[in-house]
Amino acid sequence: MTEREDRTEHALRMGHADGTEPPGAANLAEQTDAAARTGETGGGAWLLETVAVSKRYVRDGRPLHVLDRVTLGVREGEFVSIVGPSGSGKSTLFRLIGGVERPDEGRIRIAGRDVTGRRGLISYMPQQPSLFPWLTVRQNIASALAIAGIDRKKAAALATEWLERIGMGDTAGAYPDELSGGMKQRVSFLRALLVPRDVMCLDEPFAALDALTRTRMQAWLLKQWEAHRRAVLLVTHSIEEAILLSDRIYVLGGAPATVLREIPVPLPRPRRPDMWNEPAFGRLREDILTLLGRSGERDD
Amino acid sequence: MDVRRWRRALPPVFAIAGVLLIWQASCAAFGIPAWLLPDPWSIALYMAEEAELLFGHVAFTLGLALRGMLLGVAAGVICAVLFHLLPAVRAAFSPLLVASQNIPLIALGPLLMIWFGVGILPKLILLVLVCFFPVAWSMLAGLGQSEPQLREYLAMIGASRVQAFFRLELPASLPYFFAGLKLTATYSFLTAMVAEWLGSGRGIGYFLVLQYKGFKTTGVFASIFCIVACSLALYGLAVLAESRVLGRLRMGGNRAKGGGRA
Repeated sequence: MTEREDRTEHALRMGHADGTEPPGAANLAEQTDAAARTGETGGGAWLLETVAVSKRYVRDGRPLHVLDRVTLGVREGEFVSIVGPSGSGKSTLFRLIGGVERPDEGRIRIAGRDVTGRRGLISYMPQQPSLFPWLTVRQNIASALAIAGIDRKKAAALATEWLERIGMGDTAGAYPDELSGGMKQRVSFLRALLVPRDVMCLDEPFAALDALTRTRMQAWLLKQWEAHRRAVLLVTHSIEEAILLSDRIYVLGGAPATVLREIPVPLPRPRRPDMWNEPAFGRLREDILTLLGRSGERDD
Repeated sequence: MDVRRWRRALPPVFAIAGVLLIWQASCAAFGIPAWLLPDPWSIALYMAEEAELLFGHVAFTLGLALRGMLLGVAAGVICAVLFHLLPAVRAAFSPLLVASQNIPLIALGPLLMIWFGVGILPKLILLVLVCFFPVAWSMLAGLGQSEPQLREYLAMIGASRVQAFFRLELPASLPYFFAGLKLTATYSFLTAMVAEWLGSGRGIGYFLVLQYKGFKTTGVFASIFCIVACSLALYGLAVLAESRVLGRLRMGGNRAKGGGRA
């Protein structure tokens, strides 16, 4: 057995454990350290796992290895972020989790069930708001809920009720082109929040916003999440965003992308948007930057 | 209607009035006989006198054109949806359809008469053949052009093929549908008129043939004015429907895709 196969085997075994084990990020030496620290953030069953997931494409006739045995997971009520530079295969990973594509190796599991290649099991918030321009805000939300199998009337009622709840009741009948970028993303988030799925996958939801709106949206998302505590997997290239929002962070890097390290965030909850002042925040930021910098150098 | 729109309407009104005046003046100045080129005023008088007769023929042709258009548009939409959902069918039949548009109506008309007699059926078939193509082709393009972001979003939330079709592709194709509809509206009245040449006892096409065979040039011109007016009216209806529907669906900005305004 080659070393590579052995690693895969190891990762698979870890994934098969009784569900309280952290997913084995069996790529680097730091992994042991990370796994040990994960123990602190508490157990609970894995809601979403990717187990040793690999993906290769052929681009311009040349093979392109995007993901290499990526193993990570999200527990019930946990906010987990994936941080990595642009082009590190984060969006590919989401497509695999969403079932839009199948991994070449490895499995996707939700609540312990193998759901590799199955669609419609997660709720999803894309980078662009992706609201339908010919539907009102309320219809946009209701339409997504209807696709998720919720009765049409109930979907509309839910949309109205929750728009009120987040203070956007007066925009229910407005069309997306009448809203600001931040407002659109709030609608997009609410749409994802209301879809009755175990895990919310947020794909760089604030990347297209200006810096000020982005900061405000992070604070808003923090408030919303603290109130609802849904299991969230957030993909971002902003280290600060990941630290502020997450319970744990997976640092993704290299080409092909691997989990460089799994890092629990030692900041208490509830979080405040101004926590970036705290020394723990700064240290963590330095750690992740160094980690990504090192992986960057290694590629050169 | 605000002042700016009035101002935009003024130049073409002046241009048309100018042309009519020059026409009228030339007929008088050069003493052109009425059987060669009647002056606009006599044409207007003739139309007023024969209003009832003309109206009967126009109404008949308009009815034929509208029925043909309705059937043609329905066939076009069905064809576009079928081709879009079944790429194999599209690959197999699209060359045939394009070829069908190159058959000259002048040749097809008599054939349809031989096969289906002189009733309404061959005329409707001819109309459908002409009317369905712009709608089918334009809408087919539209169905394939929906926003990739929205497509990806629907895939990620697990929407089925049918859901993606009804929630994204169909609404997104509407501006293209209307572009096709406007083309069809322009052709339909002319085609209905040509269809009447294939043996009909009524309609403005029939009336036109009758007039020019008797060298009644004034009648020919009266028919031409009726035909142009009806074609424009149908086009106007299509534009109105377009702006109503697209306006409601917040797609007004896409109107440029329809080849602009008249």
